[in-house]
Amino acid sequence: MSSSNELVNLCMIITSVLFKYASGMARVIISLLCLYVSMFLLSLHARAQDEIQIPFSVTAFELENGLRVILSEDYSLPLVSVVIAYNVGSINEQKNKTGLAYMLENLMFQGSRNIGHMQHINFIQKIGGDLNAVTTHDTTMYYQTVPSNQLALVLWLESDRMMSLEIDPQKVARTRNNLLGEIQRRKTSDPYFDSNLYFDKLIYPTETYSHSVIGEEADLRELTIEDVRNFHSVFYTPNNAVLCITGNFEKRKTTALIRKYFSSIPRGPNIPALSLENHINSEEMIKTFENYTTQSPAFHLGYRIASRNSSDFYALTLIEYILLRGSSSRLYKKLVREEFLARQLNGGIETRKNLSTFKFFVRSNTNTMLERSQKAVFSELNDLRSHLIDEDELNKAKNMLKMDYINRYTKLVDRATSLAETVLFNGSFDGTNAELRRYLAVTPSAVIGIANRYFQKGRVLLNIKLK
Amino acid sequence: MSIHSGLHRTRLFFLTIMVFLFALLINTSVAQERFRRAPPYPDPLSELRLPQIESATLSNGLRLSVMRKQGAPVMRLLLIISTGESASPENAPGMATFTANMLNRGAVGFSFAKIIESIESMGGSFSATAYPDYSVFTFSFLEDHLEEALESLSRMMLEPTFQRVEIENVVRTMYFDLIGRSMDPDVIGKRVLLKILFKDHPYNNITFNETVRRNLNKRSLVEFFEKYYRPNNAEIVLIGNLTLNVAARKVSRYFNTWASKDIEPISIPSPQPNQKVKICLVDFPGEKDALVYIGNTILLEKSEDYFPLTVLNQVIGGSPHSRLFMNLRESKGFAYYAFSSLDLFKKCALITITERVRPEVISESLKESLREMQNISTTLIPNHELEQAKSYLIGHFPLEIENSNNFMKKLSELRAFNQGEAHWTQYYKNLMLINAESVYAIAKNASLSTPVIVIMGALQNLSEYLSEYELDVYDRNGELQYTIKEGVLQ
Repeated sequence: MSSSNELVNLCMIITSVLFKYASGMARVIISLLCLYVSMFLLSLHARAQDEIQIPFSVTAFELENGLRVILSEDYSLPLVSVVIAYNVGSINEQKNKTGLAYMLENLMFQGSRNIGHMQHINFIQKIGGDLNAVTTHDTTMYYQTVPSNQLALVLWLESDRMMSLEIDPQKVARTRNNLLGEIQRRKTSDPYFDSNLYFDKLIYPTETYSHSVIGEEADLRELTIEDVRNFHSVFYTPNNAVLCITGNFEKRKTTALIRKYFSSIPRGPNIPALSLENHINSEEMIKTFENYTTQSPAFHLGYRIASRNSSDFYALTLIEYILLRGSSSRLYKKLVREEFLARQLNGGIETRKNLSTFKFFVRSNTNTMLERSQKAVFSELNDLRSHLIDEDELNKAKNMLKMDYINRYTKLVDRATSLAETVLFNGSFDGTNAELRRYLAVTPSAVIGIANRYFQKGRVLLNIKLK
Repeated sequence: MSIHSGLHRTRLFFLTIMVFLFALLINTSVAQERFRRAPPYPDPLSELRLPQIESATLSNGLRLSVMRKQGAPVMRLLLIISTGESASPENAPGMATFTANMLNRGAVGFSFAKIIESIESMGGSFSATAYPDYSVFTFSFLEDHLEEALESLSRMMLEPTFQRVEIENVVRTMYFDLIGRSMDPDVIGKRVLLKILFKDHPYNNITFNETVRRNLNKRSLVEFFEKYYRPNNAEIVLIGNLTLNVAARKVSRYFNTWASKDIEPISIPSPQPNQKVKICLVDFPGEKDALVYIGNTILLEKSEDYFPLTVLNQVIGGSPHSRLFMNLRESKGFAYYAFSSLDLFKKCALITITERVRPEVISESLKESLREMQNISTTLIPNHELEQAKSYLIGHFPLEIENSNNFMKKLSELRAFNQGEAHWTQYYKNLMLINAESVYAIAKNASLSTPVIVIMGALQNLSEYLSEYELDVYDRNGELQYTIKEGVLQ
């Protein structure tokens, strides 16, 4: 920006000097020339601004057994991140078998054929590495970041537990107890745990999404070792996973290592894709939930919106920034900073496979404050539907999104997670620049159109009343 | 007969072949590749190459440094004021934090709301923290917005308005934040420990609580700001894709009118380590475990002492493979966790052990912790343990600095403590050179075995298990309430 502006300034100075010595027609020609050069420079600058370069390369290939591999080199630090994402989550659990996906995530650290109980964690921690795992409704991911000279160790560990996880009755019993304890802890620490689940039941009326990832207590107690083994053999297979490595490695050598550790793992059964219809509600639903555990009234509000593959998704994401991201976002400014109405304000887009929702959660000190908060949220949504957003405000939202987008691909483990997730859901990765451009191309009229399409009807409102 | 025996032999032959093939099949399915049986050897360690820092000083004394980093189109800015909480007036601890928090609260023609809008319009974020020895402002933004970022920062720094309403807002926010934190046993434990260790020392200022709000007013704010927020007491560090020349030109454009002023040097003595074990308790009725904080200050003679001290901390309690965790949790089952950490100050370092212990074994747990401290001060660390600690630290350092918040914190320490660039560029080498003797040299001179111990827990549950000790009972603000000797209130 600065260099183009400086050139434009220089152009103006030269023009003013020439002006002193020119007269009549010459002055007109000089002015026109100056205008042309300035506009050319500014257009160059505008084009350069649109081209946000997030400089990293991606190589993708697939092993014969169906394991999809993504490699992205980055030599800034002597580190590698390895993420393995399985296309399985709580959505794949059958009725009365909830909690299986999360239980398996825990069992994956408890030993496989060549690695003892909790040894996976020990191996990584001893070399100064970090590791973690997460189970969502749709995926289960395992990630570790280690010094780059230890890449083979991680591949050895990951391939062993994919190939030969050892599940025995003691491990299942111990894990079950831990998970039952965790359910209790979560319920105690989060007074809105139950209302969140109930709200999910309302907004995702299908059976698959209306239970928590951690599972139902009654189901957990009844899970058998065969259930767990079957779940592993069906879903923890190379053809149901994406392996992503980012960081400081040599591509050819790493490819050979991946082949060494993963290519002899047999392909698993083909898993039919779940057919989930992204049904956009048109009926309004208002319910009340009585809560025994909290002292603050609150409400959940949600709208079903277009899925992540839809072109509407870009404007919807910007609406998320306009309403909820940052201290100057409309709702944060109004409810928290200026009118002190809300003690807590969360929300945004939630995507699950090809279903998406736009959620709000507001908690206030008193019922009156909560009512005013609710009115303020609806008033802001109305405003978005009825007034064109100011260009500056939209640009602010775009810049915040741009920063978040860049950050998502900066830290190695975040980049690996984002790439693995993209390939898991979209089948391939087309590069960041094309996607980012689509967000930056959203116009004020697109925002108003999308706000009218998704925030006019079909709201699901759950008021939490204190008992 | 011969035909039968021939048939029999043929059958036997086929049967043997079948059995052999079957056995081979089973064996193949059970057998595995040899390389799966043991972990692979690591490759040679890759080199850690960090971008160089180039520095210059502007005509008004403002130090400017640039760490050139290509890659993502993001720029990060650190503004370091070489004055921290230790310089807060005696009657107004918290003044450095208050001043730092006021910086983005409005300048001439640039209200707090406009500042927030402006920062977020750059895709940016801004934060302020006052440490004991320095204050630091971190500002991240999209690199296209460097000029706007510098302009915004210079307006905040050069033309602050310190309006009454914003002062009240910041004081209120600090008050509620401190009230909230005073419910957290972790915060209280560390606060009481620091209060005892830094008694009568300027570093004691960092233990301020919500009562300070009475003394945070405009007059003292302006006084503090005018005195210390001067270019000759500050440094700007820019991290991004730009050269020192470009940075110097742009920074001078916005900061050349910032007037320097002589700053009276603040004399901070080295805090003396605690010399006799002192056991304190803060009553937290209802807390079912005992949260233990054990700490002491360590005097550093030279900046190179940092490396043996880091190894020492790693061996004692830096990870789940360190002595305290292995002993107190894995071997004895006394504690749910036991770790140690290291904080750096200009005049000392502070080692702190944190443990969550079962109440009935609190006494044994304290004895084991003290024994570990005694051991490391009197015995050389075995070679395998030393190597394991160094290997962890070498492996973990790039992970730490990959996190941008940690990176900014470490960079601000590097600049504020004048650690010198070799501290980073030679990080691996410096660690590799550490041997058991250099760790021992630090440990034997540090008063590790005479720490202050702060126990947070329910006095009613704990007193019977601690009856053999003289116990000083403190309130949550670190004020001594009474002493219990051999189970009797004094």
